[in-house]
Amino acid sequence: MTVPPRLTVALLGNPNTGKSTLFNALSGARALTGNYPGVTVEKKIGKTTFGDRPVDLVDLPGTYSLAPRSLDEMVAVDVLLGRLPDLPRPDVVICIVDASNLERNLYLAGQLLGLGRPLVLVLNMADVAEQRGVTIDDAALARQLGVPVVRTQAHRRLGLDSLKQAVLQVAGQGPREPPAIFPAPFQHEVAQATRWLPGLGAPASTAPAPVASALGPEQRFLGERLLLDVGGWLEQQAVQHGGPQVAEELRQSRERLAAAGCPVPVSEARLRYGWIREQLKGVASRPATRPTTFSDRLDRLLTHHIAGLVIFALLMLLIFQALYRGAQPLMDLCEQAQGVVQGWVAQWIPPGPLQSLVSDGIVGGVGSVLVFLPQIVILFLFIALLEDCGYLARAAFIMDRLMTRVGLSGKSFVPLMSSFACAVPGILSTRVIENRRDRLTTILVAPLMSCSARQPVYALMIAAFLPATYWFNGWLGLRELTLLAMTSLGALVAVPVAWLLKKTFFKGETPPFVMELPTYKWPSLRLVLTRVYDQARAFVLRAGTLIFATNVLVWGAGYFPQDHSVANARQAELDQLAETVAEPLARREVLRQQLEEAEAADPAGPGTNSATQELAELNATLAEHDRQASELNALRAELLEQSYLGRAGKAIEPVVRPLGWDWRIGVGVLASFPAREVVVGTLGTIYSLGSDEQGLPAALQASRWPDGRRVFTLGVALSVMVFFALCAQCVSTLMVIHREAGDWRWALFAFVYMTALAYVGALLVYRTAEWLWPGA
Amino acid sequence: MVAHTIPLEMLQTGQSGQIADVSGESGLVRRLAEMGLRPGVSVRMVQPGRPCIVAVEQQRYSLRGESEALVLVEVDS
Repeated sequence: MTVPPRLTVALLGNPNTGKSTLFNALSGARALTGNYPGVTVEKKIGKTTFGDRPVDLVDLPGTYSLAPRSLDEMVAVDVLLGRLPDLPRPDVVICIVDASNLERNLYLAGQLLGLGRPLVLVLNMADVAEQRGVTIDDAALARQLGVPVVRTQAHRRLGLDSLKQAVLQVAGQGPREPPAIFPAPFQHEVAQATRWLPGLGAPASTAPAPVASALGPEQRFLGERLLLDVGGWLEQQAVQHGGPQVAEELRQSRERLAAAGCPVPVSEARLRYGWIREQLKGVASRPATRPTTFSDRLDRLLTHHIAGLVIFALLMLLIFQALYRGAQPLMDLCEQAQGVVQGWVAQWIPPGPLQSLVSDGIVGGVGSVLVFLPQIVILFLFIALLEDCGYLARAAFIMDRLMTRVGLSGKSFVPLMSSFACAVPGILSTRVIENRRDRLTTILVAPLMSCSARQPVYALMIAAFLPATYWFNGWLGLRELTLLAMTSLGALVAVPVAWLLKKTFFKGETPPFVMELPTYKWPSLRLVLTRVYDQARAFVLRAGTLIFATNVLVWGAGYFPQDHSVANARQAELDQLAETVAEPLARREVLRQQLEEAEAADPAGPGTNSATQELAELNATLAEHDRQASELNALRAELLEQSYLGRAGKAIEPVVRPLGWDWRIGVGVLASFPAREVVVGTLGTIYSLGSDEQGLPAALQASRWPDGRRVFTLGVALSVMVFFALCAQCVSTLMVIHREAGDWRWALFAFVYMTALAYVGALLVYRTAEWLWPGA
Repeated sequence: MVAHTIPLEMLQTGQSGQIADVSGESGLVRRLAEMGLRPGVSVRMVQPGRPCIVAVEQQRYSLRGESEALVLVEVDS
């Protein structure tokens, strides 16, 4: 038996028509997601079967119209016309429309009919529409438009079979005559304009214009768009391709049309709605009265000036807490699992480059990808829930007033707030912003928000170099104040950065000042979970691989080219020794912790004498172990110093000297590229402390320049913190920017501008601190 | 009584009218039309402010009064 040929079916519709629900109902969970090359548009293809026919269902972004203003919006047109290399032209187009707002939804349907492809019109939520008093005569509508009309309730999975049948039925039909929406003079100008279409027909003016009636549907569609979309994507391409004379020809063409009574582009809407009114005559009717719906009553509360704001703030607090604290146990679990696996590796592979590669490079690299998953899953669970029930648009409405002050719209708020936990899920969540310029601006400032990975750096520096000074009876502390300042610094800097980006790179296109607020509904758990799964999977597959590769590279730079055999032998000796003194070692840990707790509870207290004495005895017992451990640490520090990473750190010392840093801090910054918090561990290694991070503040305080001056002054501590607050020292973020912006140059730009900001900021704060408190 | 025409965002809560004209940057005017805000349709102010919420049939829109586009409404008396 032969397998019938695979069908390609494209799914298109206005936003909030239930398109995603229909897509999921038709394709199940087996959807492949990716990005179209060079754009921020998500590519989603469901592999499924209609009857016994295998089908590739292509989900296109929700849109009100097919009038591409940018490359992003051109993607849908390219897919529909089969202009993309790896995607065949759709055999059938499914256009889903909201039955309770047929008139507006048919605007897009009319444009799709112009493509001349077999089309099926899906009336979704017709039940809700009928409850509201809307009546639609399906058969008459199908006759009028000349396409099958099918009713569905996608959320209840009703009507799917008749939809599949209708698709199979029209699949074999040849090209159809597009509806005559535009008058004759217009069609003549369209034929003229097709000469300028890049990549179609003969180049430029030498060719005679084809006759309007001889145009193929694809040429006619593109010609219409070229003529109608003033300054749109096709015009930009045509002018780039054919030079300024094309712009002039188009201008004259449009002038002739204006003289003939159909000014471009406004007459398109007039003509299309006129056509729609014709089609719907006697086919659909709607009630004269407007009942107050449940949605309206809910909106009175949720968009209220005060109550709405309070509810919004509480919700955001909940999301933030879930991200910041809820994800922590899961992230700890990830790290523990990583430790366990590394333990196994140490058992199975003898010490050497291979063990280090597998343990630190590969397992560490996988761990550094997986550790993001809890936050990504939690954030997308919330976002998908809020979006599906209709609240996300209200959240954007509430935050709009604030965000417009920096030239963004309310939709940027949730991604930016999430970036305070971690910029990776934050940047992924910018997909809710459909305006490309707004989205890119948000992506580029999101890494400035102080993410949780910066906290360990602040904590270390503050503990080591800022006195525990308190004012107002202990209500206001210097350390807490510094932490607050560092945490808010990035957000404060983001305001002028976003404003500048909107004034320079992303000038010209106004952020959408109109937004539809969808009707509230119960979220579909299935849809929510599918979205969360898609996000997590896309992150691991797309950004994860790059993050992993960078981890391995940085591991190699820190490991090679030195010979680690001496250190490994010493490590083995030390491990053996540690086994013989396992009990006192464990006891010392417990004692140290007790003493620390006692001191924390009562800093002025005398400390328990018996414990102090026991600790001294234990230290004497473990003297040999400690000596060997510190020798090994010194050896490891030396290895790191001589590695490629260490050499690079020394090479950049002249660059970081103005910030008050020595080469060790330089190495720490370089090594922290895979993840910011790594700087703490690297400094630990470099200061010969091994994994004993508790001694790090003291080691930093004791660090000296060759001439005996202290390396870490207050100024240096502040400059390190400011640098980390503003820098893009996070490969995961950069990889996600690369993936989401669709162009590695944006990632490079983010890195360069943030590093420049961080450098200048660190320099300023260092110089100021040295001037105010010299040698402090 | 002479019908008076005012910018959409100046409607009071619950007040309604017919869109008389949408003017301004042509791309924005068309975008509004694509979304269903065009001359001839009835709008009702749900919540004034900047942005405001208006209703057209069952649709609800959040709108920010911008200088780039002006929606004029003939107020129902």
